[in-house]
Amino acid sequence: MELAISTQHLTKVYGKRVIAVNDLNLEVPSGSVYGLLGPNGAGKTTTLRLLLGLQRATAGRAEVMGRPCGINGTSVRRLIGYLPTHPSFPSHLRPVEYLDLVGKLSRIPSEQRKPRLTSLLRAVGLSTATSQRIGTFSTGMRTRLGIAASLLADPPLLLWDEPTAGLDPAARRFTLDLIRELAATRTVVVATHILGDIDQICDHVGVMHEGRMIFSGSMHAMKQRLQDDDFRLELEGSPEAIRHVVQQVHALPGITALIRDTFTVVIGVEDAERRAGALAEVLKLVDASDVALQAIRSGQNETEYAYLQLLSEDQAHGFRRFDLQDGPVVDAVSGNRDA
Amino acid sequence: MGQWLMPFLAIVTHEIRFLWASWLVRLWLIGTALLAFLTTAGNWGQMSSALLVASLLFSYLVFPWFLVVFMLGISPVTGTRLDALADGILSRPVTRHEYLLAAWVARVLVVLGVFLVVMIPATVIVVAAKRPVPADDVTWYGVIAALGVVSLVLTFLVSVSFLAGTLLRKPLFAVVILTFVWFPISMVMHTFSLEEFSPISLSQALPTLLRTPWKEDALADASRTNAQDLQAISDLGNSFISALTGGAPVKQRPAGFFERGDYKDFALTRVILGYGIPTLAVLGLTLFLFSRRDL
Repeated sequence: MELAISTQHLTKVYGKRVIAVNDLNLEVPSGSVYGLLGPNGAGKTTTLRLLLGLQRATAGRAEVMGRPCGINGTSVRRLIGYLPTHPSFPSHLRPVEYLDLVGKLSRIPSEQRKPRLTSLLRAVGLSTATSQRIGTFSTGMRTRLGIAASLLADPPLLLWDEPTAGLDPAARRFTLDLIRELAATRTVVVATHILGDIDQICDHVGVMHEGRMIFSGSMHAMKQRLQDDDFRLELEGSPEAIRHVVQQVHALPGITALIRDTFTVVIGVEDAERRAGALAEVLKLVDASDVALQAIRSGQNETEYAYLQLLSEDQAHGFRRFDLQDGPVVDAVSGNRDA
Repeated sequence: MGQWLMPFLAIVTHEIRFLWASWLVRLWLIGTALLAFLTTAGNWGQMSSALLVASLLFSYLVFPWFLVVFMLGISPVTGTRLDALADGILSRPVTRHEYLLAAWVARVLVVLGVFLVVMIPATVIVVAAKRPVPADDVTWYGVIAALGVVSLVLTFLVSVSFLAGTLLRKPLFAVVILTFVWFPISMVMHTFSLEEFSPISLSQALPTLLRTPWKEDALADASRTNAQDLQAISDLGNSFISALTGGAPVKQRPAGFFERGDYKDFALTRVILGYGIPTLAVLGLTLFLFSRRDL
């Protein structure tokens, strides 16, 4: 398998205090749409900035299309179209001026640069805003300008950091459609914590948590990890009462209970054959308690559930997460965790 | 070659446009032109050409324009501009050295541009005009050398503040630190006879330099340094600072201070090396520090 990005034991520690990226082994297949998923602070942005050479790795190495990443890695940056989260651009410039500057920085000759930037501005819907300074742009307009800038040099790899953050539904739809279209000819890495986006556009996914990669593989492999026999109860009552019910459910044989948020409890049933009976037992306990049942759901968002399951498993592993060998990355095919 | 230099030239142009769009540069241009006009008009019939040109240059070497130069020189890799820089420019195929050198060149060009745009016409008018003062033997070589020396000092100031901006990250803090360091250092250099590093001494030596003919480029020797010139420049500095602060005129220093006679080693070559080598060293240090930094 040809890799667009590969990192080995990539680590970033800020000021010997904050571990942003922790022994990261990432492999992004060429031609894939790779979703880098994780909660805020998981290390997604730092990983992208390490690949770009905006930050220096504390340890480990990273390669983009076989070329080593680093502070002066211009040959790597030439291959990458980067879109930062809430991009910050020189506010005194107008879009054409800014794209012209980006084109010059990418050493694109004038005869190619000018037509390309005008067509890109039209493509991202900014052709009517060319007289405005970037400082007056809305979040959506900045993102669209950032998209145009990332595509100007026609790079084979796109690193887009939360491209739909702060966008209205129409702009979000536009961005996701664009990613789908671009993916036909490029490798695209989308870092986000919005699971819906990943679900719609990605064929591969990596889940980061506290700087580590806790899952890497195809979307199919991730969804396979879903325990279909689980269901979700939405309850109403005091948190204490809900916790009490959960403890009672836990005591039942072959049934697990996990509080998702304050009023939602995920019930896991080990034996699929006992699903109806187990649900009846749980409902009996709920009925006898001080909490009210608002809803029962079983057809959940598969990606969201698999993602949350990965995070909660990672947290539950405690010291077992420490591994001097290859790290506890979930095997993408079998779905088993290396112990 | 053109394509190889394209990013560098693009950044230089971008930075010059950014600086030119700032109110600081525009106000400085107006302020420096106004001050030059007032100084020239006020001393038109009183000062010899050498003294008048030296007094025009005094405001760049000693006070107040070094403050503006410090502010303009603060590197772009500081404060809120850093995010825009990382997102918009340094994530493209540009090396950090390329960016920093281009930003430094742009700052030097803007500072020298403002300085020369005002000082070249003012100096030419003062030297070439027939004025009601005794004829002075200011040479064109001396004028070019004097403007060159002041340009070199300004380049050094830009480089120092460029370093401070990279090192301290907060622009205002960097300017304050530089201001509190620059004046005492200047005094110390003067006291320890390291004239090449002291703008005060340079100001005192300028009238002599302005009278230096071609191929006699020693700034001054003890026999040529005119004590009257030194006294006049000193008086001018005192009255200028008094006028700005609104205080009483500063008490004159004893004449012996200006007649130390230790300018015999004060050579133009040493001035160039004295400011040129530190400028290159400071620039090198800035490049090194920035290459170690996370964005």
